[in-house]
Amino acid sequence: MTGTATESAPHPPHYTSVPDWSREPLVQPVDPLGRVHTVIEVVDGDRVATRAVVAGWLAALAGAQVRHHTCEDTSAAVAALEDDLVAARVGHRVLVAGSADACLAVRAAGVRAGLADDEMGFGVVSVATRTVWCVHCSAATVAELALDDVVACSGCTRNLLVYPHVSRRTGQHLGFMVDAEEA
Amino acid sequence: MGRLRLVVAGIDDTVPAVRRLVLAAPQGGELPSYTPGSHLVLDVPAGAGRERALANAYSLVGEGLHPSRYEIAVLLCDPHGGAAGGSAWVHTLRTGDPVTAMPPRSSFAPVQAATRHLLVAAGIGITPLVSHLRFHARWGREAELLYLHRAGRGALLDEVAELTGGVASPFHDRADLLSRLRERLLDQPIGTHLYTCGPTGFMDLVVSEAQEAGWPASRIHLEHFGLDDLDPGEPFDVTVGERRFEVASGVSLLEAMEQQGYAVPNLCRQGVCGECRLDLGPATTGVWHRDLYLTDDDKAAGDCAMACVSRALPAADGRSHLEVSL
Ligand code: FES
Repeated sequence: MTGTATESAPHPPHYTSVPDWSREPLVQPVDPLGRVHTVIEVVDGDRVATRAVVAGWLAALAGAQVRHHTCEDTSAAVAALEDDLVAARVGHRVLVAGSADACLAVRAAGVRAGLADDEMGFGVVSVATRTVWCVHCSAATVAELALDDVVACSGCTRNLLVYPHVSRRTGQHLGFMVDAEEA
Repeated sequence: MGRLRLVVAGIDDTVPAVRRLVLAAPQGGELPSYTPGSHLVLDVPAGAGRERALANAYSLVGEGLHPSRYEIAVLLCDPHGGAAGGSAWVHTLRTGDPVTAMPPRSSFAPVQAATRHLLVAAGIGITPLVSHLRFHARWGREAELLYLHRAGRGALLDEVAELTGGVASPFHDRADLLSRLRERLLDQPIGTHLYTCGPTGFMDLVVSEAQEAGWPASRIHLEHFGLDDLDPGEPFDVTVGERRFEVASGVSLLEAMEQQGYAVPNLCRQGVCGECRLDLGPATTGVWHRDLYLTDDDKAAGDCAMACVSRALPAADGRSHLEVSL
């Protein structure tokens, strides 16, 4: 027999690219097996709630090697993560707290840097905002949106359906024109 | 199942108890390609002490792109010590003998997205990892090998020396290898994957050292063949039509069905040949597959299982059940 060490776990029945924590606010636990933990607090949303999530993690990680970054926005968070990962070794874990939109973007940076899903955890305080990538003009539109909503593209003004698919490498939702068939 | 008709084209018995066997098409020519870490399942005829025909899986040594030969390295396992006799049969083959095999199957491939590969082998477990090393050498991928074998019993040492530039000096002592492994596990860049092949107890140690060093499960890959390697598992129950019976811990579904009087086709009895595949109905609670035969998609579909190695997984209410449709 063969496979990864997690082989005994059954497959989830339906895989989806949209993580549960971007559908409703969820806080994932710390992974006590990690040797070094990067904790990123993205404070451009609900600061108080985000701080509370991070406080819970830091308490759970007491005694472990932790690098805590408080970042004003997503791009600062991505930069902090990329910086930490340059010299990181396998055994590193990453925790990100903030809005789902920020978490998806930081997760994408982690994926691009080679992190696996079981090396990243998320604490989401709000799922209202989503970033939608237009398949027609490649512009990204950021707005308060639910899955399957329709939004005008900030690039080409087409009416985009927010499709329930998130790119792992960008953290953006796929958007395409609602009436593409008739157009 | 399309079998390949092959002949023994070369034999090398230089290392005691390890036979290197080269197989080729009878008229020469190209054989089906395979991914690194693949294995070949050989048909082992009945006779010479073997009560029935068998099928045994052996890892391929080569790299697999447009091969004209398949090479395996087979450790002699003593039938008196409980082995089924497949490896003993390989050790009796002579040049020119015909052999049939299933086309190579992939079960232990290098992770494409990995940026670096740490390989840890013991004994004959070096075989699939030499295949990996060839692939990494060809594509310029970063790889590092730690190899443990008994002094004088090392297999594939020339290839290992050539493919690692001589830096992977083998270990003859488990404690030495483990202390080096501990060091190396702490110093691998993000993006590295770990692969281990060898006896079960050895791989368990490697996995636990990796976990100790904080490695997540998704970066740890292992390969082993053989029934005695498998966890006995929890009991579960089975329905076949109107009949219902229990499969005890340590008993395979195949054995339980045979005891109930069902004739389930089988050869390898270790999840590699595909003969014992069963269709499952919707009352099945979940399948712990454990075979090397089904594809990931087959496994995810959950509507079939290999009777010789697969077991039921419990549902949320704790019931473990397989509904077999014959
Ligand atoms: S008998 Fe070969 S896979 Fe089950």
